[in-house]
Amino acid sequence: MDTTTRPPRRIGLAGRSSRWDIRLSPYLYISPFFISFAIFGFFPIAFNVVVAMHSWHRRLGRGDFVGLDNFRWVLEQPAFWTSLQNTFSIFLLSMVPQLVLALAIAAFLDQNLRARTFWRMSVLVPFVVMPVATALIFGQVFGQFGLITPLIQDLGLFADVNSPFFQDRLLSHVAIATMVTFRWTGYNALIFLAAMQAVPRELYEAATIDGGGRLRQFISVTIPGIRPTMIFVVLTMTIGGLQIFDEARMYDGTGTGGSNDQWLTTVLYLFNLGFGDWPDRMGHAAAVAWLFALVIVVFTLINFALTRSIASSRSGPPQVPASVTKAVIAQAQASADASARAAAEAGVPSLVRTRRDPEEPTPSKDSDR
Amino acid sequence: MRHVRTTGTAALAAVTTLVLAACSTSGEPGAEDNPDVLTVAAWMDIPEELLESFAEETGITVEVNSFPDGASAQTVLRNGLASDGAGLSDVHLVELDWWTEMMAVPEDWATLPEVEGRWVDWKVTQGSVEDEIKGYGTDIGPLAIAFDSELMEEAGLPSDPEGFAEFVGGRDATWESFLEAGRQFTEASDAYWTDSMTTPMQAAINLLPAAFEDPDTGNAIPMSENEPIREIFMRFAEEAQGQASAGIPIGHADWGAGFQAQQWATVITPAWMTGIIAENAAGIEGWMIADVFPEGGGNWGGSFVSVPATGDHVEQAIQLAAHLTSAEAAVAMFHENGQFPSQLEAMDDPAVSETANPFFNDQEVGGIYGQLAAEAGDAAAGGYRGVNFAGIQTLVTDGILRVEDGSQTPEQAWESVVANFDSLGLPTD
Repeated sequence: MDTTTRPPRRIGLAGRSSRWDIRLSPYLYISPFFISFAIFGFFPIAFNVVVAMHSWHRRLGRGDFVGLDNFRWVLEQPAFWTSLQNTFSIFLLSMVPQLVLALAIAAFLDQNLRARTFWRMSVLVPFVVMPVATALIFGQVFGQFGLITPLIQDLGLFADVNSPFFQDRLLSHVAIATMVTFRWTGYNALIFLAAMQAVPRELYEAATIDGGGRLRQFISVTIPGIRPTMIFVVLTMTIGGLQIFDEARMYDGTGTGGSNDQWLTTVLYLFNLGFGDWPDRMGHAAAVAWLFALVIVVFTLINFALTRSIASSRSGPPQVPASVTKAVIAQAQASADASARAAAEAGVPSLVRTRRDPEEPTPSKDSDR
Repeated sequence: MRHVRTTGTAALAAVTTLVLAACSTSGEPGAEDNPDVLTVAAWMDIPEELLESFAEETGITVEVNSFPDGASAQTVLRNGLASDGAGLSDVHLVELDWWTEMMAVPEDWATLPEVEGRWVDWKVTQGSVEDEIKGYGTDIGPLAIAFDSELMEEAGLPSDPEGFAEFVGGRDATWESFLEAGRQFTEASDAYWTDSMTTPMQAAINLLPAAFEDPDTGNAIPMSENEPIREIFMRFAEEAQGQASAGIPIGHADWGAGFQAQQWATVITPAWMTGIIAENAAGIEGWMIADVFPEGGGNWGGSFVSVPATGDHVEQAIQLAAHLTSAEAAVAMFHENGQFPSQLEAMDDPAVSETANPFFNDQEVGGIYGQLAAEAGDAAAGGYRGVNFAGIQTLVTDGILRVEDGSQTPEQAWESVVANFDSLGLPTD
């Protein structure tokens, strides 16, 4: 008996309200997410539009409506453009080593190791360290009297500069990128590891039988096998890496991004405007937030496209252009035709059907079953 | 079905409660009954005995929310005021440098009752907004020069406090004589003369009656027309080019390590900085305080204790603020952190003026600062500071730092300071 068409039983008021129950309850059950999203997600974003359109004092609140003036002001600030350059520079300097290291560590952990869980847990340790602590420690390491500076100054590099890792723009980026790499590599490695574990082991066996070495297996089996994860990691890395703040803020004691904005990242710039020395620049900070959100979206899309094309070049079944397939088929049929013709001329009954009748339906696999 | 409905209603009720709880504030402001605990936000140590004596008197425990430095306490205060007091402590320490900014809306702060004859007059004036006292003074920042007598001796220059004071100019010391002494020192030594030129520059700026802003309108003075600042900037920038300064200002990650490596011979030292130096230079012998300061002395910083008006227990918090700024408290703070008191009675207390400081070679540091404060007089109060003072000052000190790291010449640095100032588009007269 088909139960779905049975009309609902009516049992008075209770039944009526229980029908409301059925309709409403699911929404109530999922409502906590939407309510909290509305309060903590949607409202701030919408409110940010209002702030970006006004002159806004930190304490006194809304001032005059200024329209797009705040955006114009931000675009005219050299510091804004410097901060964008710094952000991308630090991002690139941290992303490349991060990807390479995370893949290598994951591949290593994917082997049959003794005390596997221990190793897997230990790569996550840097991630558990507070970013502020990381920044303070690395700030010491890269300082004038730290581990690295005396070494490179002994080599005659930056010998006449005090604290080159704080004065030189590129070196400060390297130092901050090192902190980011230190913190996130293990985390990404574990994500890669999870993906690698899902690659069918038969593929490795087949590769071994075919004589492929470890490296070859990594390039031809592992990498194509974790392609979707690769895209995921690169995208989250892009969004997270562009939002870099803690490390740059905590790098030196003052936290404003360097006397010459050497390591002023865009989010740090936003923070300085909104919460730093200037009490009346909330509107400008909001404008920076919007402009930067736009930059992140554009850049993420570019990265998405790039990652897809890189990750797909070696993966999946071999991709042969349709024209080549057609040519090969035509060639095979031509030779078959030729041999059939020759056989007919020789009086031998043909084993090869010369040409498929276009009207005849293509036999499908399903029909065989 | 009834069961399901009950759950549904319960879920709705739970969500509603959550939202309501998030939106409403708990407790009545200014409740009559005594709280169990009051909180104080500070970035220096507050002596335990002060908190205990308050607990004995009132039965209220005091908890200290401590911050690593003034800047982080300032950030929390900024955000707390902007969100109607959320996350603020019952009592806050406010530093002179960002006092004006915090007092932008005087109603944010409880008006404190007058205490007759406790402080030097100018400290009370500084702590008042529109003739209402908004902050009780803790310490003041009379300026002296701390120097590393070992480095001076190695360079073959006067290394005792009296000799050193004469060396930098004695009673008639000026910035020029201080810098000239630096030239002699760097010729004879591998070390730098001072940690960073930003510090003496800031001390010089603090002496101007109206450094960056017009006291009448509160508007900024255009940097391109600010001749006094340009002169001060160029003087220190030109000196910053050579080996005069290490380019590592206080607060920099390398500052503490620089002491340990004996990188510089002198540091411009307000009284409250003596404790910080003793901490950072621990283990290095030879640091001393010379009772000399260019241009007749000055004041740098010094804090106030203020009570946010939004607190739940304003009355008791005011009581605590008074307790923390009594003469006895000031003496205790001097012993804990080296802060020089702004309380008249404490200033003259032999416990301040005649206590030997073991780090500074048993010098009576309190006495030296007391004398410098007395000599500087009311001039020590410093000039006018508007709401944008801190922001503009950062622009100017950043300019000096760019000269110190060799990335700009003094002229280029000044031009970029002017350009940075102009790009901010601050309202000017």
